[in-house]
Amino acid sequence: MILAANVLLVIGLMFIMLGVLGILRLPDFYTRLHAMGKCDTLGVALVLIALAIHEGVSLYSLKIVLISVCIGLANPTATHALGRAAYRSGLMPWRGDEERS
Amino acid sequence: MNTYFLGAALALAVAMTLSLYRVLRGPTTFDRLTGLGLIGTKTIVLLVLLGFLTDRVEIFVDITLAYGLISFIGSVVLAKYFEQKGADEP
Repeated sequence: MILAANVLLVIGLMFIMLGVLGILRLPDFYTRLHAMGKCDTLGVALVLIALAIHEGVSLYSLKIVLISVCIGLANPTATHALGRAAYRSGLMPWRGDEERS
Repeated sequence: MNTYFLGAALALAVAMTLSLYRVLRGPTTFDRLTGLGLIGTKTIVLLVLLGFLTDRVEIFVDITLAYGLISFIGSVVLAKYFEQKGADEP
């Protein structure tokens, strides 16, 4: 069980680091939002499930799983709200011929 | 096992510092909000890890639950506000 928790923790941290790499290196807002929405949700959920496995069966591990479910619902919603707000306020996607920022 | 969690917490701190770069010099307001959301979700994991490091999971889990809900509401409200206001930076 501890080995499974360790493996899940390392995989989750890897996803989080990939999300940070994406948010640093991708060319415009929408691509960065893509990196944030997926990598971050999956990485945080994996790390939290690893911590719940390490804790064992108790009330606190149930609460940690509840936090993970809350993030799985809230983070895509927040990402979608951000992308919709940016599109409605007139921010145009990157076309590939401009300078990256 | 304790050093394992300490290493994970340090890696998360490094990731949060790196995403602070996008908050400080993102070209538009929405880039800054993206970095802010990233830091918010990493703070949730860091709080649970701190609970494991200090052997007081029962307190930190409740704090984390409240922080996660507040962070989500703040992110959505800021997105709605800047949708009406618009990104005025280049």
